[in-house]
Amino acid sequence: MEKYFNASYIWESFPMLLPYVKVTFLVAGLSVLFGTLLGFILAAMKIGNNKVARKIANAYITALRCTPSIVLLFLVYYGLPALAENFGLLLDNVDKLFFIVITFSLQFAAAMAEVIRSAYQSIDKGQFEAAVSVGLSNFQAYRRIVFPQALVVALPNFGNSLLELIKEGSLAYTIGLIDVMGKASLIIDGRFNAHALETYIALSVIYWVISIVIEQVFFKLEKIFSKGKQVIKTT
Amino acid sequence: MLEIKNIHKSFGQNEILKGVDLQIDKGDVVVILGPSGSGKTTLLRCINFLEKADEGYANFGDINVHLKTASKKQIHVIRQKTAFVFQNYNLFNNKTALENVTEGLIIGRKVPKAEAAEIGKKALDKVGLSEKYDAYPSQLSGGQQQRVGIARAVALNPDIILFDEPTSALDPELVGEVLTVMKNIAKEGTTMLVVTHEISFARDVANRVVFMDGGMIVEEGPPNEIFSNPKEERTKQFLKRVLPEDYIYYI
Amino acid sequence: MDFKFLVDTFFVALSGVPTALIITIISLLIALPLGFLLALTRINQIPVLQRFAQVYVSFIRGTPVIVQIFIVYSSVPLFLTSIFEKYHIDKNVYDINPIWYAFIVFSINTTAIMIEIFRSAISTVSKGQLEAAYSVGLTNVQALRRIIIPQVLVTALPNICTATVNLIKATSLGYAMSLQEITLRAKVAANVGYNYVEAYIDIFLVYLILCSLVEYLFKRYEKRLSKYKIAHA
Repeated sequence: MEKYFNASYIWESFPMLLPYVKVTFLVAGLSVLFGTLLGFILAAMKIGNNKVARKIANAYITALRCTPSIVLLFLVYYGLPALAENFGLLLDNVDKLFFIVITFSLQFAAAMAEVIRSAYQSIDKGQFEAAVSVGLSNFQAYRRIVFPQALVVALPNFGNSLLELIKEGSLAYTIGLIDVMGKASLIIDGRFNAHALETYIALSVIYWVISIVIEQVFFKLEKIFSKGKQVIKTT
Repeated sequence: MLEIKNIHKSFGQNEILKGVDLQIDKGDVVVILGPSGSGKTTLLRCINFLEKADEGYANFGDINVHLKTASKKQIHVIRQKTAFVFQNYNLFNNKTALENVTEGLIIGRKVPKAEAAEIGKKALDKVGLSEKYDAYPSQLSGGQQQRVGIARAVALNPDIILFDEPTSALDPELVGEVLTVMKNIAKEGTTMLVVTHEISFARDVANRVVFMDGGMIVEEGPPNEIFSNPKEERTKQFLKRVLPEDYIYYI
Repeated sequence: MDFKFLVDTFFVALSGVPTALIITIISLLIALPLGFLLALTRINQIPVLQRFAQVYVSFIRGTPVIVQIFIVYSSVPLFLTSIFEKYHIDKNVYDINPIWYAFIVFSINTTAIMIEIFRSAISTVSKGQLEAAYSVGLTNVQALRRIIIPQVLVTALPNICTATVNLIKATSLGYAMSLQEITLRAKVAANVGYNYVEAYIDIFLVYLILCSLVEYLFKRYEKRLSKYKIAHA
């Protein structure tokens, strides 16, 4: 086995891969931004009283939950230009990043819609009532009382969704994005498929470290934001 | 000072309030009694627009509003003049005791922070929580939380405080501390509208008792009159069940 | 849009469903008991195993499935070749059906997910249940089998459902191991005439139907089991 496996290739891969973590983060960051916005809209549709809006939001969330990322990615990559053509728009020269960000924004929005809805509904209605009863406006009541509490509830789920997003984002290499995953396949191609394992090990370590860091950051954030949540043990 | 006319409210098929009229003058302590489901809490919530009444008017000093079609601004003005004490306290979980009390002052009424803190501390002192300014609700007992709830209402210096069964979520041994606080603020001349099951509070503190049943006011009058000489059959039945003396006699 | 192709390819994609389901079922059959046992090691704090389970779960949850696939797909053949050479077994590793790799990858992956699911589910069943079981004279194993596991399953079921749906979705990555499942079959059909849009619509529909069906079945099963659940006030 030794002649096939050589640990030095693992070390060699790190400096080649690391610069491309930026691209991975770029995709994740943009998708979080647009996905969260769309997620807010979907959550509002689910919480609101309009039956049609609720049905649409539910259908969207179910469909997205049942679609593998790679299928959604190709559906957007091939389908969107075809769809745009009907409206006379030519998307042939648009950067791949555009399709990738759309794909993962759509997916992240479905996850966020559920995260936001459950966080919002976990806050007792009395909190809002008490706020308006002391003279806050509806908007002030949401912003100062309901939202800060919902945020704490949403944080761990938001963190999990972000981790999923970064991992699923690795599939963008299939349409040629050179992020950390895409770079790994390039390196392997460059070595004519020899020592693929070592490269993948290096790649997995990078993803693993990113995940652990994000997990820890969210753990800390949760602690910082959970004012008034500390449980005092009295026995 | 506050006059309510002909409040109607239904939840689906269920008609909870069937035309309630009520008048409260400055300095009044009015206690609403009645069996559960009689619409007492709903009446209180309609006055503060926590529920939207289907019909009825509220006359609040110089403001006269149609409860159903009241504008956002009118609702806001009325809420500024009233304060609400909730059955399950509803303290802001993300704020300390003092912040709970000052939130409405600073944000709702634009009182400067330092001044609000001054008022807030005084209010907390009044309910006996001078030691607990910086405690979060999760660190307080139920009785302490409700006292913060009362301080939060008192600090706003409203024209009237609405109490929605303030002691019914409390363990029996904690009821006393809350009732004492309520008695004290009543003595200071605060106008109060109280929904409660505490007959002793009604008898000792109220200057008027209102008995509600089936979404309507059945009978009202001074406490000694209602308790010793009720005129309506439904009131008699109710009092027979809840009055401690009769209870003992009953056994 | 080529509608004839759309309809024809739908059935091509559908023909990949058995492969996806077999992988899903085998992986669950391995992951459910193994995940439960490893969850117990973490709860009972068995020294070495607990540490192993912790690192294992962290790694699997921290890395993309596609990377896990590539690691297995590039390491297992190396490993097997060296064994075959050592014992002079005359067999070519590249003749092995890729479905075996799929079994390995998805079992490893799903086991990690199950450890987490069972760990949180077990912690929700109160200690009193176990104590009550001992008090009526049940042994450790009996208490686990008759009292704890039925309750744990009810709590864990929604998460097991999500994990199953995710597993079915993840089999779409079987293309990386040349596995003839839903996605690859439809894609190959599309290669002929560049009908990618149609092909991916078909793939999308097949997963949508398959996953909705699985969710529906879990919901029904959940309803049947929910009699164990005590309503919390």
